[in-house]
Amino acid sequence: MEAENKLELHIPNAFGYEKVAMNFAATAAKDMGLSNARIEDLKTAVSEACLNAIEHGNKMDARMKVGIVLNVEEMKLQVTVQDEGRKIGPVKTPKIEDKIEGRSNNRGWGIFLIKNLVDEVKFESAPGGGNLVRMIIHLDK
Amino acid sequence: MSKDIAVSIRVNGNISVIDIKGDVTALTGQPIEDAYKEVSNTGAKKILLYFDKKAYINSGGIAILIGLVSESRKKEQVIRLTGLSDHFQKIFGMVGLTKYTQIFQSEEAALEKF
Repeated sequence: MEAENKLELHIPNAFGYEKVAMNFAATAAKDMGLSNARIEDLKTAVSEACLNAIEHGNKMDARMKVGIVLNVEEMKLQVTVQDEGRKIGPVKTPKIEDKIEGRSNNRGWGIFLIKNLVDEVKFESAPGGGNLVRMIIHLDK
Repeated sequence: MSKDIAVSIRVNGNISVIDIKGDVTALTGQPIEDAYKEVSNTGAKKILLYFDKKAYINSGGIAILIGLVSESRKKEQVIRLTGLSDHFQKIFGMVGLTKYTQIFQSEEAALEKF
C-alpha cells in the first residue's frame, strides 16, 4: 500500500459545486476508515472552504476555478482548497447574539465551522496567487 | 447544479408545520422564507420547521434560519426544529442557534411540548 496518495479535483466557480468537492473528500475519508461522524465533519468543512473560495476568493467569477487536493496518509487526511483570487482579509469570529439581535449580518459562519470541525487548519496565500486553506483530519481522533 | 427544494405548509392544531424537503442553502432559502412569511401572515405563533434528515445545510442556509429565528422573536413566535441529522444538530448547537430554538427528535415530541 502507498504511504501517501494525492488526489486532485477542480470545480467550476459556482455555488452548488462545493457538493462535488465535499463528496470527493468523503470518499477518501471513508476509504481511510474515518467514522461517519468525522466524515460528516469533514464534508461540512470542505464545503465551507469551497464556498469561501467561490464567493470571497474568486468573487463569483465563472472564469475561475477552485482546486481541491487530497493528501491521503496512513493516519491523516489533508484537504487543501485553493482559489485564484485576491487575498481574503481576516474574519471576525461570529457571535450568534449579535446576529439574532440584528447587530451584525446573519452570515459569516464558514471559517468558524471549519476551525471547529477539523483537527488542524491553516490559511495561507497560494504560491501563484489566491487563497489556500489547508485542513487536516486525523484518523485516530 | 440542482437547486431542488420543496417547501410545504400544514397545520396541526394551532401549530404551523413547514416541511422542508431538500438542501438548505443560500440558493434554496427563498421558499423557506416565503413559507415563514405566509404562516406569519396567518398569525401563527407556534411554528415547527421539519427538515429532511439527508439534507445538506451550509452556512448560507444557517444564515437564513438565523434570520427566521431573529424575526420570530420580534413577532413573539416560537420556532422549533425537527428532522435534523445528528451532524446538523451538532452544527446548530455549535453556532449557538440552540440558545434560541429547540431541536426535537421527532415531530411528535416537538408538538407534545409546544
